[in-house]
Amino acid sequence: MMRHEVYITTNEVKVDGKVLSHNENGSALLTELYRAHVGDYPKFFKMDTLSKLGFVASELLLQAEGAPRFEPREDRAVVFFNRSASLQADTAYQETIQDPNNFYPSPAAFVYTLPNIVTGEIAIRNKYFGETSFIVMEHCDESIMARELQNAFLDPMTQSILGGWLDCTDENHFEANLFLVEKSHVPCSEVSCQQLNESTNNN
Amino acid sequence: MDDLIYTLKQQIIEALNLEDMTPEDIDENASLFGEGLGLDSIDALELIVLMEKNYGIKLKDPSQGKEIFKSVAVMADFIQKNRTK
Repeated sequence: MMRHEVYITTNEVKVDGKVLSHNENGSALLTELYRAHVGDYPKFFKMDTLSKLGFVASELLLQAEGAPRFEPREDRAVVFFNRSASLQADTAYQETIQDPNNFYPSPAAFVYTLPNIVTGEIAIRNKYFGETSFIVMEHCDESIMARELQNAFLDPMTQSILGGWLDCTDENHFEANLFLVEKSHVPCSEVSCQQLNESTNNN
Repeated sequence: MDDLIYTLKQQIIEALNLEDMTPEDIDENASLFGEGLGLDSIDALELIVLMEKNYGIKLKDPSQGKEIFKSVAVMADFIQKNRTK
């Protein structure tokens, strides 16, 4: 399997290293990518920004892979990492309960107040029945990520992983670096934290 | 009643993030769930919040929603009869 990779920030999109042209920035960029490259999953509009980011990035990645889609499979895991957990969704939900005189907890906001919701969104969309996990770290740490990817392959069912870095602090600060990796490849150098940490520091 | 139906459609679109829809796209007699707008259980909870927030209606029994949320027209009729604000 050829290695595939998608990189998305608030103002940059790359698929397998090639820049994808776009007009919008921030969360509007994710909607633009959805309309241009997906378009058949209205639930996208209900997602929080982290899930929108993961959904769009995974769609571009799987389109680049070019393999048959939407067939039930147990051999692919979804393993993501970030440092901000579900902060943007947490904040959005908090806003619905902040004012005692305007206290209307939003169920739609609440359901996204866990980072691993996005792994479920992707698994449901693609009929993946393998392991899904979301590891939150203080900062991008290649050694931890490699270890967790290797651990995921200890499950004899898992033959490939859709994984990577997926971080969002608000609608204008997010970053995805997703990839597909096979069991036969040692996943110790799939993600370069240098690029991610530099970008994080610039935000 | 027509004004209420139109306003309700706008509020539903906003509350449920039906981004590609306008009030004109929603048939007030069409089913909100299933084959109509295709809403799900989380949307139903959001509609309960919408009614309380905008019209002061607190559903004592959430299972009432099955009848009330049949369509926008049914929902508007219920709101008109039970609203406190």
